[in-house]
Parts: sequence; structure tokens; C-alpha cells
Amino acid sequence: MSTPARKRLMRDFKRLQQDPPAGISGAPQDNNIMLWNAVIFGSYIKYGSISYSGFFSGWDCSPDDTPWDGGTFKLTLQFTEDYPNKPPTVRFISRMFHPNIYADGSICLDILQNQWSPIYDVAAILTSIQSLLCDPNPNSPANSEAARMFSENKREYNRRVREIVEQSWTAD
Amino acid sequence: MAASDSDDVNLAYDDTADDDYFYLDDTDDDLHPPQASDSLDDDQLQGSDSRNGDDDDLLQSSDRHDEGDHDCDDNDDGDENALEEDDQDSPISGQNFSVLTEADIRHRIKDNIAEVSSVLSISKNEASSLLLHYNWSVNNIFDSWFADEKAAREKAGLFLEPLIESPDHGSSICVICFEDYPCDGTKSTSCGHRYCNDCWSSYIKTAIADGPQSLLLTCPHPSCRAAVGEDMVGLFASEKEKNKYFSYIVMSYIESKKMIKWCPGPGCENAIDFVAGSENLDVSCLCSHSFCWNCTQDAHRPVDCETVTKWMSKNSSESGNVNYILAFTKPCPKCKRPIEKNMGCSHMTCRAPCLYEFCWLCLGDWNNHGTCNRFKGNPEEEKREKAKQYVIKYTHYFERWATNQNSMKKGAADLQKVQTEQIEVLSRIQAQPLAQISFVTEAWKQIIECRRVLAWTYAYGFYLPEECEAKRNLFEYLQGQAESGLERLHDCAEKELQSYLKDKISVEGFIEFRKKLTLLTRVTRNYFDNLVAALQNGLSDVNSGSSSVSKKRKSNWAAAAVNAAPALDTNINDNSATAPAAAASAMEPWACAYCSYENQSSATNCAMCGRGSWTCDVCTYANPRTSATCAMCTEAPEP
Repeated sequence: MSTPARKRLMRDFKRLQQDPPAGISGAPQDNNIMLWNAVIFGSYIKYGSISYSGFFSGWDCSPDDTPWDGGTFKLTLQFTEDYPNKPPTVRFISRMFHPNIYADGSICLDILQNQWSPIYDVAAILTSIQSLLCDPNPNSPANSEAARMFSENKREYNRRVREIVEQSWTAD
Repeated sequence: MAASDSDDVNLAYDDTADDDYFYLDDTDDDLHPPQASDSLDDDQLQGSDSRNGDDDDLLQSSDRHDEGDHDCDDNDDGDENALEEDDQDSPISGQNFSVLTEADIRHRIKDNIAEVSSVLSISKNEASSLLLHYNWSVNNIFDSWFADEKAAREKAGLFLEPLIESPDHGSSICVICFEDYPCDGTKSTSCGHRYCNDCWSSYIKTAIADGPQSLLLTCPHPSCRAAVGEDMVGLFASEKEKNKYFSYIVMSYIESKKMIKWCPGPGCENAIDFVAGSENLDVSCLCSHSFCWNCTQDAHRPVDCETVTKWMSKNSSESGNVNYILAFTKPCPKCKRPIEKNMGCSHMTCRAPCLYEFCWLCLGDWNNHGTCNRFKGNPEEEKREKAKQYVIKYTHYFERWATNQNSMKKGAADLQKVQTEQIEVLSRIQAQPLAQISFVTEAWKQIIECRRVLAWTYAYGFYLPEECEAKRNLFEYLQGQAESGLERLHDCAEKELQSYLKDKISVEGFIEFRKKLTLLTRVTRNYFDNLVAALQNGLSDVNSGSSSVSKKRKSNWAAAAVNAAPALDTNINDNSATAPAAAASAMEPWACAYCSYENQSSATNCAMCGRGSWTCDVCTYANPRTSATCAMCTEAPEP
């Protein structure tokens, strides 16, 4: 029953509880350690809010003008028995408007694909996604409308993001 | 040589079994001490030398077993064997390639690794990492290594000093599974990042399962580029995974070489090493699959790759149907639906709901129709007639192409049968050693090759321009000769053989049969080689300016084609040397080859003894009237 993947996920959970990075939370679903629910809080998407440093560099959101402020974005993480040698499948359940997030909620992020390393854990994945929210990579657009708006019309982009944020309060 | 073959085979295979690990014998040496493997290196280098010497002859499997032999024990015999092999009659003349089995490829890889390792004084593990990162170019490795060793090491992920200090006592936490491990439960590659054995194992297994990119595997740490190479795979992967990994290495080696390609034959694992610059592009693998080196389609001498593509796409496309419709149907003048005439009279009535009535010949309205017999010239009609001719022509060539292709496939199946059953039966019934019976397989191999060539001559004929009447005439003549010659060989191998499979006739009878079939095989091979050479030449012997070639001269063209071919038996060469002279003197008085009577130029047959041009009974070659013995097989005609 206790495979290396499950053992490791137990440890991930323990570490996440003992030393939770700011603005994220996550836990396995009842009686299924392979499927996790997680939440990323938009209020913590600020310069310097990431305690889990070391894996990323370049952080250029200023604290005042992040449009993600106040949002609560829900995700699921589906792990396989290959974890941690293979990344989990991560999807947003909440509706999103972001250059690197597809309409179905799946995420275009290098560390979830070819740059994955078995050293990453759940906390690292979630903090990476958190940082992606205000630091999109417009060169690999998953949502071309969002990508175009992000580089051409920041005002409109921010308005659309704030719409999403408001929706995240009412969605169940 | 044949008697000791079976031993050699075993040795060769034992040798390959060891090769599964390209160098795992010294995985534990992090820095490779040159002395320790000197003997091994020598062995391999010599092995590669003797192989280079044999490259011309790799087609026959027995040769390759000998080669394994060289590598195993006695290199001294190498040259001697090579000489012996040169004497053997290889089934296809002028080797433009050699076949590499998986064992051969492994040998080459081993040689490469050994060379890099000994020249740079690094471990074989490091050498193989370098080769993988430098696309197997030994020269590139040497160039960049001696220009900037540090950069070369960095590119391949080989660190001289660990990046981090690793404790050599006490316990440490594996950062993948977060468990505590004593030091000997963890391992690191050249960078010094330590992980527990279980995590290494699953890391490497997952990577190998993911595919050939595992050859460039790096340390699990996200920012570390240290190579995880064969040594780690050897330590942590299962047998099955190791085999997979080594097959990736073989794949990467073959794909890095421009002059080596996999045999596309179904289920075949051999590769073909092509001799750069060879004109003959057809290669054939040990698995008996023949293909064109350039386009990897089935072998298609004498036509070029472009024509093959054109021909094949023509065969598969609908264009043939379109032309049929154009040729045998006419559109209804009113509703434009294509109509095929299915009754005798010219009064046509289109199907409901159109029901238009018209004349099939002039397409005019039937109600106002009087006569339409007067010729006015109709471009539509001409176009249709042309299309009709085209379809008929295409059908003609396609049918013959396809028939020969099928004969070839049937021939391949027959060869299989001959090799697995008939040879043994024949050997038993006729009380002949197997070696004396190989002529039957030779004959069948030749039949397959000839059927292939003959099939493609029909594609050649289809695209041969109509205007070059002289070329067409010559081509058709040569093709006809080839066809009847091949039929004769095929018939002999297929039907005459049957009686020898049933009862023992007489030893003399069998020897006679062997002589006949061997001769037919040789003659047919020569004829087809010459045919291919002539066609690839674009039939350049014909001066396209002269539009008419008399029937009598055609045989001389054939002889000239024979003469133009490079690889001929000397005795044939001697005889055919008279042919061009005969060609030149075709319009002059000629001396009969039998009675030496001086005949008029206009006489086709000798006025004295009645003999003229003749067809050889043995090989069917058409000889000019001026030669007394067959220019092809040197047989004299029956008086």
C-alpha cells in the first residue's frame, strides 16, 4: 500500500503543514493521497511574499498593482505512482484569465513539463504557480487573448483579471 | 572454412554477449588508469582494423562470423581469411555497402569509446558521455577537448571536482524522498549531489522508460547539468532497462552517421553502411530486403528515385480513373454527367431527370440531328482520343510492372522454401553435399533481383519519351531479350528442379542440370547488369538524331551494351569485342561465321549455308550473324 510515491506525498503534506508558504494551502482529498485540492490566495501575490525561494529568479510585480489581490483560486493536483519522478497533472478549477492557463484550467509551466525535477515538492509546485500568476510568459501563450492583452493593453488585462477575482468569491 | 563455421558462430555470439555492456568491466574506476585496459584496447583496435579490411565483403554471413573470430582470438589469420573471402563469388557485383548487424554496431561503438578514452585518458564512462554529446564525432571531441578541455567537459556534464562537498561520514537526508540515509546508502555522480539508491534507481528507470532522451540524463537537481551516464545506469537499472538503454545508444550512433541507415525491412535490426560516392544506390540487407539507399523505397534500378515517386503516386492516385472517365465516357451535353455508352446505336438518352437525347458522335441534339459524318476537327474529341491512348498505355505498363513485382514477391517466398526445405531434400536425394547445391539459391536470388529490375524497366518504358523512336526500339528490344532470358532461368529453376526433388536421376544428369542452371544464372546476371547500365546511361548508345534503327542492328546495340558494362567475365569480353566491329560494318559485305562466304550487305542470311543472326540455345542471347560462338556464354550453336 505504501509505495514510494505515497510515502513521499505524506512527507510533502507534513512539510506543507509544518512550514506553509504564504498564500497557498493544499491537502490530499479524503482517503485519496494521490489527488490533492489546493488554493492559491491572490492577496499574497506580492513582491517578497515567496518564502520558498531558490527555484526562481526575477520577480517584478510591485506590491500595489497586482490585480490578483483578493482572489481565491482553486486547483487540483493529480499524482501518479511515478511521483516524484514525474510531475503531477495540475489544473485550475476556478475560471482563470491568464496568458499561460488554458481554457480548461491546465497550466503551461516549464517545471510541470520538461523542466521537472524530482526535487520539487507540492509546496514548490504551488509557489511556482503563484509566481506565474503575476509574472506570465507571453511567449508561450495558452490563452492568446490574454497574452495579447497582457502585452498590448494592460489596463484592459487588469480589468479582466479583476473580473476573474470577483468570480472566484462567488464560485462554490 | 565451412567446416569450422559452427565454432566460429558460437565464439562470435559469446563475444556479443559480453558486449552488452560497452565498458562495464571498469565502471568502478572513476578515473580510468590507462594500463588497466591496454590489452582490451589493443584487441578492439585490431578488431576494427581487420573489419575495415573486410568491409567490402560483409554481405555474406559467413564472412561476418569470421570477423567475430578475429576479434575473439587470433588476429593473425585475419588477412588470410580476407583473401579467401575475396575469391568468393558474391551475389551482387561491386559492393557499394556493407551490412552491419547489431553486434557489428556494438563493436564500432566500443571502438569509438575505447579510442576517446585512451587518447584523452578518461574513463570509458566519460568517453561515452562525450560521444553522446558530440554526436559520435571523435574528431569534434578531440578538437574541442584540446582547444578547451573545461568547456568540453562542461558541455558533456563531466566535472573534475564535485560542485558541493559531500560528507563522507554520518548520515544525510536524501532531498528527493526526505528520508535519512547513512552515507553508503547514497550515491552521487561527478557533481557531488547525493541521493539515496532507491531514488536514483527510480529516477533512472523512469528516464529510460521515457525514451532515448535518457542518454542525456542529468543530475536530478534542477540547476545541475552533471551527466548521469552508463555507469549509473549499470548500477541502478534492471537487465531489461539496461538493454533498452543500450539500444538507445545503438540508435543514437546510427542516427548520427550520415552514411549508415537502418534497413527498412520489416522486423530487421540491421543497418547498412553505404560507401560514399557509390553510383549504385541499391543495397540489400542480410534479411534479403533490398532498398534504394537514397529514398529507402524498395530497390528500383534502373529508374531513378524521382521516377519511382512519380510512378508510385500515379499508381495510387485517382488520376488513372479520371483518365478512364475522360477516355471512355462523354459528358451529357445538357447536364454534364459522364455517360458511358453501353449499347450499339448512337442515339443516346440521358438518365432521368435529364432525359436529354443526343448523338454520341457529335453530341448534337437528336431532334435536329441529320448526319454528322463530315470531318470538322474537334479539339474535345482529340483530347479524348489522347486520354484514351494514355490510359491504354498506362494499363499496359502498369500490368507488366505489377506482374513482375508479384513474381518477385513469389520468388522471395520460393527462395524461402528453397532455403528451408528443398535444399536439404535435394542434398539427400541426389546425395550431394549442401555446398554443391548452393547454385539453386543463387539462381533464385538472381531471379528475384531480375524480376525487380524487369518490373522497373516498365516504369522506365512508360516515361521514355515517345519521340525517341530509336531509343524506344532499342529499349523494347533489350527488354524483350531480358524478359525471355529471365523466363528461361525462372522456368529452369522452378520446373526442372522439381524432377530432381523426387527421385535420384543420375549423377551425370544432376551435374548437367547444375551446369545449366549455373550458366543461366550467370548469363542472366550479366545481361541484367548490362541492361541496367545501359538504361541508367539513358541509352546513350543511340544517336537520337537517327530515327530508324534497322532490326538487324538492334542485336549489335545489345552487344554494344554488353561491351559497355564494366564487370564482365574475361572470356565474354573477348568474344563480344567483335560486336562493335560488326555494328560498324553492318552496311558492308559480311563474312559468314561458318562457311566464311562473303555476303552482300543486303543479305540477312548467308547465301551459301543459309545461316543468319541466331539465338543462343543455352542463354537465349541474340548473336549477330558474324559470330560463331555466343557472345554471352561462349556456347557454340547447334549445327
